[in-house]
Amino acid sequence: MTNKTAHRRNRKQLTHHLMMMPGMFFLLLFSYIPMVGIVMAFQDFIPAKGIMGSELVGLKHFRYMFQLPDIFKIIRNTLVISIGKILLGTFMAIAFSILLNEIRKKFLKKTVQTIVYLPHFLSWVVLASVVVNMFNLDGSVNQIVTQLGFDKINFLGNSKIFPGLIIGTDVWKEFGYSSVIYLAAITAIDPGLHEAASIDGASWWKRIWNVTLPGMMPIILLMAAMSLTSILSAGFDQIYNLYTPIVYDTGDVLDTYVYRIGLIGRQYSFGSAVGLLRSIVGMVLLVSANKLTKKLTDQKIF
Amino acid sequence: MRKKVIVKGLVVTLITSLMTISLVACGSGNKKEETTKESSQVNIEAGQQKGGAYEEEVTITLGRQTLQNAKLPDGDTYEDNAYTRLVKDVYNIKLVDEFEASGDDYGRQVSLALSAGEIPDMMKVATYDELKELYENDMIADLSGVYEDYASDYLKSIYDSYEGRALDKVTFDGKMMALPGTNVDAGPSEVWIRSDWMETLGIQVDQDGNHAITIEELEMVASKFKEANLNQAENVVGMAFAPWLTSGDPDGTYSMNSIAYALGAFPKTWLESDGKVVYGSTAPEMKEALSVISKWFEEGLVDPQLGTRTWDDISALLSNGQTGITFGTWHIPDWLLNNVRVMDPNATFEAYGIENAQGEVSCKHNDAVAGYIVVSKECKNPEAAIKIANLFYDTLVTSNTIEKDYPEVATYIANGVDGSTRPFNIEVNLYTSLLDDYSDVEKFVSGDISIDEVRTTESKNVSSSIQKYLENPTGAEVVDWSKYHSRMKGIELIQTFTENATFNWITPIFPQTTTTMETNQANLDKLEEETFIKIAIGQIDAEEGFNEFVKEWNKLGGKQIIAEIEEQLK
Repeated sequence: MTNKTAHRRNRKQLTHHLMMMPGMFFLLLFSYIPMVGIVMAFQDFIPAKGIMGSELVGLKHFRYMFQLPDIFKIIRNTLVISIGKILLGTFMAIAFSILLNEIRKKFLKKTVQTIVYLPHFLSWVVLASVVVNMFNLDGSVNQIVTQLGFDKINFLGNSKIFPGLIIGTDVWKEFGYSSVIYLAAITAIDPGLHEAASIDGASWWKRIWNVTLPGMMPIILLMAAMSLTSILSAGFDQIYNLYTPIVYDTGDVLDTYVYRIGLIGRQYSFGSAVGLLRSIVGMVLLVSANKLTKKLTDQKIF
Repeated sequence: MRKKVIVKGLVVTLITSLMTISLVACGSGNKKEETTKESSQVNIEAGQQKGGAYEEEVTITLGRQTLQNAKLPDGDTYEDNAYTRLVKDVYNIKLVDEFEASGDDYGRQVSLALSAGEIPDMMKVATYDELKELYENDMIADLSGVYEDYASDYLKSIYDSYEGRALDKVTFDGKMMALPGTNVDAGPSEVWIRSDWMETLGIQVDQDGNHAITIEELEMVASKFKEANLNQAENVVGMAFAPWLTSGDPDGTYSMNSIAYALGAFPKTWLESDGKVVYGSTAPEMKEALSVISKWFEEGLVDPQLGTRTWDDISALLSNGQTGITFGTWHIPDWLLNNVRVMDPNATFEAYGIENAQGEVSCKHNDAVAGYIVVSKECKNPEAAIKIANLFYDTLVTSNTIEKDYPEVATYIANGVDGSTRPFNIEVNLYTSLLDDYSDVEKFVSGDISIDEVRTTESKNVSSSIQKYLENPTGAEVVDWSKYHSRMKGIELIQTFTENATFNWITPIFPQTTTTMETNQANLDKLEEETFIKIAIGQIDAEEGFNEFVKEWNKLGGKQIIAEIEEQLK
């Protein structure tokens, strides 16, 4: 009898494994096989000679990277912009999902949700021209600024304001979409807890602070840890479409820099070296964040 | 994790698959076209001179550099137009575009093709470094033999007029590896000023009548234009420049080159004297030039959005009548200023040079070569490249009977369809061709010769266009207005300066990319671009900022590059 169930279970598992095959195949094809290309970071890669034929040069490109006078400024810019995006983006998404959850009218809730979602689906190529038209000297924002009696502000050409503009517009674009997961987390909280708190006389603020937020905490930590993996990519397409030499000071990030030097200058090996470094940093951060979350909440991502 | 690498792999795969898909799509589309176009019979005499048509259809794949507004007639594309059909009719060669891209994107496409190790049968590459890389990677064919056997005498005489400067550049180890595009001297970056506005406001410049104005005069015109705001534009701008400010080409459009040159600064130029090499952007004169711009910026004469105003934005400023002064090469009336005329039928321009303290207009010689056509090693018919070149740079140029023989092509030329629609987007002209051609036009306009005596087809078209414009300046078609301005103003200026010896010619050197350039040039360019624009908009002090820049530039590899170039020259 037991034998039979085990057999049946095995057969069932076999089907499941077979169903996994195409996925595994594509994972292998598109994620693992291209990793061979990492070798390029340690070579003077010449396309026609290929990976097998190009000369190995060890850590040359990594050394060169850290000799570049701008590299630390660029890493700083990248960190400022991406940490800003993570912090503000997470805060906005949480706040928004809590507020949205309070709306009782289903129709209104759905409408608001859809409206804040939408920008997520537009590409930065399109949105950049919208942003430029809004924020340039003749743009609508500056018209409001002058109406209020202030001088015009060159948002796009001022290196002090530029990172803020990048973070702000990115948060505007993405917070609606990332609030979806938090909204789901809120709905998963046992309503009984809220009722109990209310009966005990907790105010709205108290309930949010002591019931909703702790209930969301695992998800918040998970999302934060996941976002750490991309800490060294501050959003290429957004910045590339908005920056100019004037704001290189604070706006030039790892991706844009590598793009200008690597692809346009056709320094493939150097480009790979930077990409590899970024991935390693992302991986280290993810693993540490995973350890930390386990310590703090007893939950693990993997 | 290894996101970058994965993305790279993905991109390459995606692009290759896209190419395959588009190839398949193009292939099937073409078949349909052919049957309908077969009827358009064209004189195939030209083809038979040198080699002639292939008995069986030969398919050649191309990489094409396109232009956004090529003025192609409806239904025609880069892949299927009068020129490509002509190649089909004359030689029985079917041209298929492996990729098409405009502007900078084309360079990226070439980079990608290079990195994938698969190039089309023939394509244009823009830089010497790309050509060198192709040669070193053994991806392109040796053209020495086919050039010798197939090139027409006229084509050979064109290249010979550069006294080796053109062909030497594509010769590697004694083998001719590309068909070079030639580059005649384009003259200076001219200052184009709305002459209708000057007339209305009664502004007088160029008192000595040498067609060159001083920097002070330019400043005066800009401030008067700004004050008067004749077009009643909302945001009027005195002078606008592109964010990169300076250009390596002497005639760089929307650049401040003319102002810099007048002050003795030659940005983005390698100069040599007595074996010593100097980089023009780091010379003290450049500081002066930047100070001028920065002073104007502070006074509001230069665009307040300098640095964030893109090329297209500046073109819009001009056509909206927000600015009436611009800087650019002699032919901008044909492709930029024409938009001004479209918007304002009264608009006219006058072209000036900017003179230095001695009353001379400084200009530098161009590199003799611009762009290369390379043929893939895999291509089975390398001679086709030479045949196509014969057709476009000899037959079509020298034929006197183009209307009769190639009516469709004649219509294209008459309608001003852009030359980039030809299979090879390079120019191959005699060294003296610019002024040679113009002398015919000038003689015709002044009534010295008849239209039949005008030598080239293009000059004939230009001449009749100008005639049409002169008969009725206000009602003339935009294309006639453009031709009049580019020739009778733009080239006329170069002609006048040449005749009166107003030019002060500088001969720069064109070094090969050195090892340090390979690794540090991108960074140095970034430093230069960033510093210059910041000085211009007053974010950093000209004096201090510039000295700091020169110091940094030398430290970050500039000094090393200079040493390497000096080594090359030995």
